[in-house]
Amino acid sequence: MEQQQMRRFIETYLAAFSAHICESHPDYLTVKLPEAVDKDIGNRPFYWSWIEKMNMPPQPMILTFAFDPDRMPEGVRAELLHLGAGRLQQIFRSAQKHGRFVCMYELAPPVRQSSAKRRSLPLVPWLGVNVKISFICDKKKDLLLYLGVNLHQPKVVFDFYPSVRKLALSPSIPDYFYTLDQRLTLEQAAEWIKQAVDETIEREDHRWAEFARERLAQELDILEAYYTQLTDSEGSSEETASESSSQKTDGPAEDHPGVPGVEEAREELPPPPSPPAKEPVSWEQHQSTGGRILDFLRINGIPVTPKEQIEQTEWRKSTPQEERERRIAELKWQYEPRIEVTLINAGLFYLHSAPSFAAEPQNM
Amino acid sequence: MTNIPVAFDRTWLPALQDLMQNDGPWHKWELFQLALEAEEALAVKEFDQLQALKYLPHVKPYPHQISTAEKVLNEMRGRAILADEVGLGKTIEAGLIMKEYMVRGLAKKILILVPASLVIQWTKELNQKFGIPAVAQKKEYMWRQYDVVVGSIDTAKRDPHRRHVLDIEYDMLVIDEAHKLKNKRTRNYQFAKEIKKKYCLLLTATPIQNEMDELYNLINLLRPGHLGPTRAFATNYVEGKRQAKNNEQLKTEIGKVMIRNRRSDGGIEFTERQVKSIPIELSKEEWALYQGVTDFVRQTYRADVGGINALALITLQREVCSSREAAFMTLYNMHQRTAEGSKEQAAILELVEMIKRIGTHSKAAKTVELLKQIDDKAIIFTEYRATQNYLQKYLGEHGITSVPFRGGFKRSKKDWMTELFQNRAQVLVATEAGGEGINLQFCNQVINYDLPWNPMRIEQRIGRVHRLGQKRDVHIYNLSTIGTIEEHILHLLYEKIDLFEMVIGELDEIVDRLGLLSSLEQNIIDIIMESGSEKEMALKLDNIGQAINSVRHSALADKAKKLS
Repeated sequence: MEQQQMRRFIETYLAAFSAHICESHPDYLTVKLPEAVDKDIGNRPFYWSWIEKMNMPPQPMILTFAFDPDRMPEGVRAELLHLGAGRLQQIFRSAQKHGRFVCMYELAPPVRQSSAKRRSLPLVPWLGVNVKISFICDKKKDLLLYLGVNLHQPKVVFDFYPSVRKLALSPSIPDYFYTLDQRLTLEQAAEWIKQAVDETIEREDHRWAEFARERLAQELDILEAYYTQLTDSEGSSEETASESSSQKTDGPAEDHPGVPGVEEAREELPPPPSPPAKEPVSWEQHQSTGGRILDFLRINGIPVTPKEQIEQTEWRKSTPQEERERRIAELKWQYEPRIEVTLINAGLFYLHSAPSFAAEPQNM
Repeated sequence: MTNIPVAFDRTWLPALQDLMQNDGPWHKWELFQLALEAEEALAVKEFDQLQALKYLPHVKPYPHQISTAEKVLNEMRGRAILADEVGLGKTIEAGLIMKEYMVRGLAKKILILVPASLVIQWTKELNQKFGIPAVAQKKEYMWRQYDVVVGSIDTAKRDPHRRHVLDIEYDMLVIDEAHKLKNKRTRNYQFAKEIKKKYCLLLTATPIQNEMDELYNLINLLRPGHLGPTRAFATNYVEGKRQAKNNEQLKTEIGKVMIRNRRSDGGIEFTERQVKSIPIELSKEEWALYQGVTDFVRQTYRADVGGINALALITLQREVCSSREAAFMTLYNMHQRTAEGSKEQAAILELVEMIKRIGTHSKAAKTVELLKQIDDKAIIFTEYRATQNYLQKYLGEHGITSVPFRGGFKRSKKDWMTELFQNRAQVLVATEAGGEGINLQFCNQVINYDLPWNPMRIEQRIGRVHRLGQKRDVHIYNLSTIGTIEEHILHLLYEKIDLFEMVIGELDEIVDRLGLLSSLEQNIIDIIMESGSEKEMALKLDNIGQAINSVRHSALADKAKKLS
């Protein structure tokens, strides 16, 4: 994203929330954050929960964003916005959160008709779905698809969004238009989408996955050879003599503050403290259901291990077998190819024109 | 090929259905468009292309750092030993790789284990340079609460921390100063091995300090079995403890898991060093004191007088070369310890009287002159607190602003002093150079007010400013008072062994490899303290210079043969 594009992005974002721009200088922008924006990017959740609990008027936060590292404003505390800036990432997330689902109607050019003969025109319902396909192994690549499903006369098109964005659209249905019925349910449309995605994936070059599997196989071979030899030479090899005795040859004394001879007691130790099994809830979710800060902290906090449960002697090196299994799990986690398809956003579009959508994905 | 599992997200269907049923509330079209634009900016278009740089406007990596990052990502599959020589920026390389995996969404939970003294430094650098929200681990809950945690291995391996760390699946593990893990029998090593990790970086400037096994052990942390089982490794590659065989093959194998950039590789531009000796003529009174102290030290050193130990005498001899203030405290303490009315006490009193008679301070005066001439930021190194205090006072009297720097300062105070020096003061007067991670590259003038007898310390002093990131030539001024031991030392270091011209880290390697460290300084001390005459001392120092030189040449020759 170029700096200019960034500035336009920020201005559009702020305008969408009707933010009050205090100063708009070629190099920077000073803005009073509207409540919704503040909550998303202001980094003060506790302030907001306090204000709401106490029913007090909030003090809006004022921020200055700069766009050129060489032209930072003087005498003003400004934040440079760039792709790696934490604040920009928050703004991105905020835009994604508030730009997820839309319903838009095409504003067709006015049809010149005498009012006597004026009759209504049909709009075709479309489901526009933008997805990200991530190809993941030890590396990763993304592919964005802008799909559209005609809900009236079922068919799928690619590059739906790029054509739709060129149209004049309105959030409410214009006069003298009516919408055609939807012959596909949402689930059915989603199936069409899934099929189009699957076909796209099918057409992709799959060598990345083959290579990843080759790499995995190589690594597993090395591992197999290594641990097989370890096991074969058990008893004679220094490596396997380790489990029980190696600790004696271990580093400096500070490593062994424990008393010798507690080996048996070790087994009966209480299990390590683990965070509550309850499903983790985000602060936002907790807050929206009317939860209190203290409860949230209590549920989500990690308890400090009581002194009497701290046990420095409880230490056992993995056996070669355990080590081998752990390593195999790590390798699979790292290399095994998989594909994730996630929704970016989706919308219902009622269109008058039938733009020339591509039936096949473009430039792939 | 259709057998790649595809996870198709359908969780959004009910939400959209609800909205359709109630006809809203819908989101704004502008934000819908921005959401897509954001996603397009964040999407990773290629498997192999480095993405991190566009997220890092504040980092200007060197070509070798970028190629290292690319190699780790594309060829080494995210598990590597980064073994650049000192000062080439391993931290930057690690930061780049970390950022890349984060940007690609492949790493979220990251653990960075470093020596306790470097925890804050790492945390700061990751946040400031790389925009990585790393936190320094202080409390038990932090292991789980934060995604990117910097901690010390000595804390992490102990209960209750250990249970948390071993329980978490880390997308990435980074270990700095990894040569400390060379011994597989230590708990640190075993602990590192037990940590569940996807990607792993081990950072060390000295992957092999003594034995081939050390490197084997490090590689086994990353990719167990990469060099074959222990015994196969021994038969295939090890000739002697330090001697490899099948060198080419071993090199290839090691090259798959380790990257070692060297200064000599070229492409890495270091600025020049300009070394200058500043001779100083002592005043008559100063010379008398120097002579008096030197005579006293020699006589007493041999006489083995009760109450005065050899160490104090050595110190005194060094101090008198630095400043009279430094010598004064030691003389005072000696006076307290010697027997009342003894010959030595009388001699000491006389020396103190001599100090009182001195009205000039030739060295300090010369320093002020030099500083005015430099007219830029400068670091003055001295070995002694007393000299440091005196100098600060003296500089202040001559209108030169200065800040102190000492080893005893807490980390935060060191940072504060560095900042003051950068923004407010002309001079930093420092008694130590070894402050790990203190970067003073913005300054390129170093004044050695006195010379340590241990060459390693001089090397460390210069290394503070002459490192990657220094954009200007580095000027080094060595103050040496004519006719004193200092002059001899300087002659040894400067003329004989070319110390100031050595590349950074070279002396380090020589001394380190041959275990010379303890003996080098001791040799110098012995020569100075035990020589009967100036001439004898000069001759002996000359010999030691030749010895070091021959060691250096053989080290260079060996290096050519050594594995890369």
